[in-house]
Amino acid sequence: METTNVDVEIVLNGKRLQAGCAPGETLLSLLRRNGCFSVRYGSETGETGAAAVLLDGRLVSSDVLLAVQAHGHEVTTLESLSGARDELHPIQAAFVESGALQSGYSAGAMVLCTKALLDRCPDPSDAQIRDALSGILDRETGYAKVVDAVHRAAALLRGEKPEPMEPVFVDRLTGEHEPGQDRTVHDEGTTDAVRESGALPRLVRSPEVPHGAVVGKPEKKVDSVRLVKGHPAFTDDIDLRGMLYAKVLRSPHAHARIVAIDDSAALALPGVHAVLHHLNTPRVKYASGGQSWPNPQPWDQVSFDDKVRHVGDRVAAVAAETPGIADEACRRIEVTYEVLPAVFDEVEAISPGAPVIHDEPDTLGIYDAPRNVSHHIEGQTVTDAQLEEAFGRAERVFEETFHVHQVQHTPIEPHVAIGWLDEDDRLVLRSSTQVPFHVRRMLAPLVGLPVKDIRVIKPRLGGGFGSKQEMLIEDIVAHLVLATRRPVRLELTRAEEFAGTRTRHAQTISIKTGVDREGHLLAQDVRVVSNTGAYGTHGFTVNSVSGQHGLSMYNCPAKRYRCDVAYTNRPVAGAFRGYGAPQAFFALESQMDDIATALGMDPIELRRRNWVRSGDPLDIVPRLGERGGVEEIAPEDLPHVTSCGLEECVEQGRRAVGWSRRTDPAWKRPWRRPSIRRGIGCAIAIQGSGIPDIDMGACSLKMNDDGSFNLLFGATDLGTGADTVLAQIAAEVLGSRVEDIVVYASDTDLTPFDVGAYASSTTYISGMAVKKAAQAVRQRIAVRAARLIGTGDGGAVRPEDVELHDRRAWAPDGRSVSLEDVALNALHTEDQEQIMAVASHVSDDSPPPFVAQFAEVEVDVDTGQVNVTKLVTAVDCGFPINPVTASGQVEGCMAQALGYALCEELVLDERGRVVNDRLGPYWIMRADDMPATEVLLVETMEPSGPFGAKSVAEVPMDGIAPAVRNAILDATGVSIGSIPFTPERVWRALRAS
Amino acid sequence: MASVSLYMRPGTLEEALLSLGRPGAVVVGGGTKVNSASSLEPVVVVDLQGLGLDTIEKVADGRLLLGATASLRRVVESPRVPEAVREAARREEPSTLGNMATIGGCVAGADPASELLATLLVHDALVTSVTKEGERAIELGALLLDPAQLAAGIITSVTIDTDGVTAAVRTGRTVADRPIVAAVARRNSMGERRLALAGVAVTPVSVIAAHDSFDDAIRSLHPPGDFRGSEEYRRELAVVLARRVLEEIG
Repeated sequence: METTNVDVEIVLNGKRLQAGCAPGETLLSLLRRNGCFSVRYGSETGETGAAAVLLDGRLVSSDVLLAVQAHGHEVTTLESLSGARDELHPIQAAFVESGALQSGYSAGAMVLCTKALLDRCPDPSDAQIRDALSGILDRETGYAKVVDAVHRAAALLRGEKPEPMEPVFVDRLTGEHEPGQDRTVHDEGTTDAVRESGALPRLVRSPEVPHGAVVGKPEKKVDSVRLVKGHPAFTDDIDLRGMLYAKVLRSPHAHARIVAIDDSAALALPGVHAVLHHLNTPRVKYASGGQSWPNPQPWDQVSFDDKVRHVGDRVAAVAAETPGIADEACRRIEVTYEVLPAVFDEVEAISPGAPVIHDEPDTLGIYDAPRNVSHHIEGQTVTDAQLEEAFGRAERVFEETFHVHQVQHTPIEPHVAIGWLDEDDRLVLRSSTQVPFHVRRMLAPLVGLPVKDIRVIKPRLGGGFGSKQEMLIEDIVAHLVLATRRPVRLELTRAEEFAGTRTRHAQTISIKTGVDREGHLLAQDVRVVSNTGAYGTHGFTVNSVSGQHGLSMYNCPAKRYRCDVAYTNRPVAGAFRGYGAPQAFFALESQMDDIATALGMDPIELRRRNWVRSGDPLDIVPRLGERGGVEEIAPEDLPHVTSCGLEECVEQGRRAVGWSRRTDPAWKRPWRRPSIRRGIGCAIAIQGSGIPDIDMGACSLKMNDDGSFNLLFGATDLGTGADTVLAQIAAEVLGSRVEDIVVYASDTDLTPFDVGAYASSTTYISGMAVKKAAQAVRQRIAVRAARLIGTGDGGAVRPEDVELHDRRAWAPDGRSVSLEDVALNALHTEDQEQIMAVASHVSDDSPPPFVAQFAEVEVDVDTGQVNVTKLVTAVDCGFPINPVTASGQVEGCMAQALGYALCEELVLDERGRVVNDRLGPYWIMRADDMPATEVLLVETMEPSGPFGAKSVAEVPMDGIAPAVRNAILDATGVSIGSIPFTPERVWRALRAS
Repeated sequence: MASVSLYMRPGTLEEALLSLGRPGAVVVGGGTKVNSASSLEPVVVVDLQGLGLDTIEKVADGRLLLGATASLRRVVESPRVPEAVREAARREEPSTLGNMATIGGCVAGADPASELLATLLVHDALVTSVTKEGERAIELGALLLDPAQLAAGIITSVTIDTDGVTAAVRTGRTVADRPIVAAVARRNSMGERRLALAGVAVTPVSVIAAHDSFDDAIRSLHPPGDFRGSEEYRRELAVVLARRVLEEIG
């Protein structure tokens, strides 16, 4: 076979497919062209596995395989398993049952991987499963539930019936015990639950929490069938006639002025429809962070600028008939740069003599542009003099400086958006965004359209973690749509994800802490220099949260937080799961262990003497943040801890990890392995639940003829299970089932407003909006049901006495009417009305979830390699509405946090280029990397949350890095103040000691 | 992705060699490296999958032949292959890429961090390649030092010794990460020791003992440093890890 244009013939899912393709076309492209949308893009190099298919029964990455290489072979995609509407293959059923799918972006790959494994190995071990999964990077689950799903699938295919995925109840260790629960903790370090499966959520129940019929249950995700069947649910899973492909020309320089742009050669290329840059695009200032109006200043960006401030910054954008033509057009744009000096370190950037990064005259709101300080943040609970006086009273004062580094979110689905003009010439954007409503509002002035003429649709997201809480590509697509009047698609490459999207803020953190003889904190003074990269975006809020959460963990009579946020020429920092708290807790919790060591105290005991409890004030919180800056505030006006399960979390975690082994020399220095030292470390942390008085969620709830309901909201499920949790809340109130709640989210034309998915707000804020709407609907149902029931024998019924459960409305005497009959009556029969409600919710509170996290490590003192052998997280998230999705969030967070601690790092060379802009060199945890993990959900009753719920999705990000650090300290006696704990860093620290 | 101007799937070695004569021609086994390279210059892909070079079989003198297009996962699953080689092949790529990447591609790629290449080195690997002039066998170590020996040629197989005891250790950022440095040692049935290192030079290297000691040879290495490990650190790792594997094989 020899040809320039190739005829490819494959057997696709059992049917012969003949197609013509270019010799360089990937199999991924060919399959998607032919409707196999379950095969998805993750990178150009095959490591993500999102594009995995079976080639002659073998799992391969179709994104790195030429279509023509598959000629003559059999190709199997997830679509091959899709049977009738309600039918699932046993493997698919197992994935649904186990809660293994979060976003489901790589569902096809995982199911096919399972099929290939089980075809040759019907009863695989954990190690075999993890090896098989090594080719599929999952940024969301932490793999525990995926491994469980494979075991379940194997059992089903062997004809066995696996145990249902239900929580394992664990006895409380503090306060009132609830005896008689079915499975309990035994010896330290092991539980029955652990022996059963690491994927089952362990639940420590609280007698204060009223348990419902639907909430608190491991309901299957409402989107699980769509995901496990590989249906076209994601942004890029559509084809539009006449679509153009966009590419972005990005800066090769860390800091330069654009002296000239010549786009004539690009425009002359056949197939090119538009080339946009600063010379032909309006200069409208904005800040890209997706935040509530008015977006915090400085507004230091424009769509295309005449200056570039980091390698990967935007220079121009092209729309063309094919991606290849667009790429070639970008290469043909001639840009003349005046290269300027660059600075990458945050401390150097704010020092005298550093190059000024934002010298443009039209950016307002930079705190100190000549010094590269985008924001200055400070808040304190006492005066400077009182703080000094508190330090003066301290028995010991500890001063340390820590450094945390820049990492990237790496959602497996990259940023992707498709735009077009609808039949009314309104701009429609289908985008993988966490903040569709913010994008609509922020985009309007940039493209000169009123908000009403823009519609943003958020389909299923393939992960975000904060990187999609920004408007990063939608304005480019919008400009190109308006310029060409054609549909335009822009999907970023993996390299662009690293250099051109967002990252976590690096910080240099200096902490001074004064304690008395017993270890009580007397004064805390935290000074941060934070690295926001080239633009300010979330710089103010992220770095405020560092202080708000970090300095709320412990009671301390004198606290001060100061932060300078520095512009540098690094890729831009932004929102990232934890939002400033992981940085703060690395420093604070590391220092707590150093203090404990110096005082000769048990680190947990030191913490216990200081940590906040129910009723304690969170006194630094109102002094920082968007509505912060309050100097004088009455004690009664301070926010307080309204629910706290930290004591129980610590005790559960301590037992689960086997804390007492810290004093067992035989365990710590295994004699057969002389270079190994073992240790156990702990850290505790808090987060918030939404932003008080700012975050607003809303929903509408409508009853249908058959007694089902349409639930529409603006909240965005990134894969977290939020859609399911909100459906559970509605079902609970309405006496219905989750499967009778039809969820749609989100679409700025159709769904009510929501700020979006960030700040751990969805369950707490949007969930309460759903509860309110459901209560209003329930009230209407009760009125009508009382009338229907009361017309029969047995006399009148008062609406307030009607209860809803089992899809019926019940009178106290047992008479009932179905919800369907109520709906038919309302819609068709009598005093017709549409039973529906709209509700909104804002909270003036942000109750903190609490977490206790433990790491067990082995340190090779000759090489510096740190092997984390076990992670335990015990979390108080209030009442977990869905323990399976909640524990899945924690597991995924632990995996991400472990990468932050051990191996993830965005590395730049001396010219500011990302050295490791590819997965592999940038290493995220694989299935065969993860240690044993255990998650314990400790119930508390949060009075301000829906059914007692608080947030869960961010707080487990905070304590893993310091727990690993403290475990290294326990193992080796060496304090390390920087992450990640790469072998060389640890080796050098060991040598220095 | 690579820019591909032409795809060829020869049915014989002769056709393959002819195809290689085209400007820009590159040989593809599984395609994991060539296809993912972001080349601007168009390449002519010569796909070897039609040549039947994927066998794994015993050959003369008890040696084992690994066909050039045998995938790494096939090596992992073959009971004929020594356990240490199977494990190194498993670690070389994640499952998806391991089903595509080939032994020949691994040799041609000469990845400095390849634990598999280090393992093949201590198993006295011979690489057979074919050119228009004929077939010849080259020691893997020599080929890695002088890849020009492969010019205009096609790797058809790698043969290895299967006897003896082999040990491998590594240091990486995580347990599954590619090694910063890996050391592999083998004592063959004659009692001779072999040592190879990955991550200490531009390719994996065999270390030759002087007076039955490898230390001086290791300390004379000048590993190229990068963000995962400096030159000094890699050299120190090499000493430590070499000592461990040599101890293990006795």
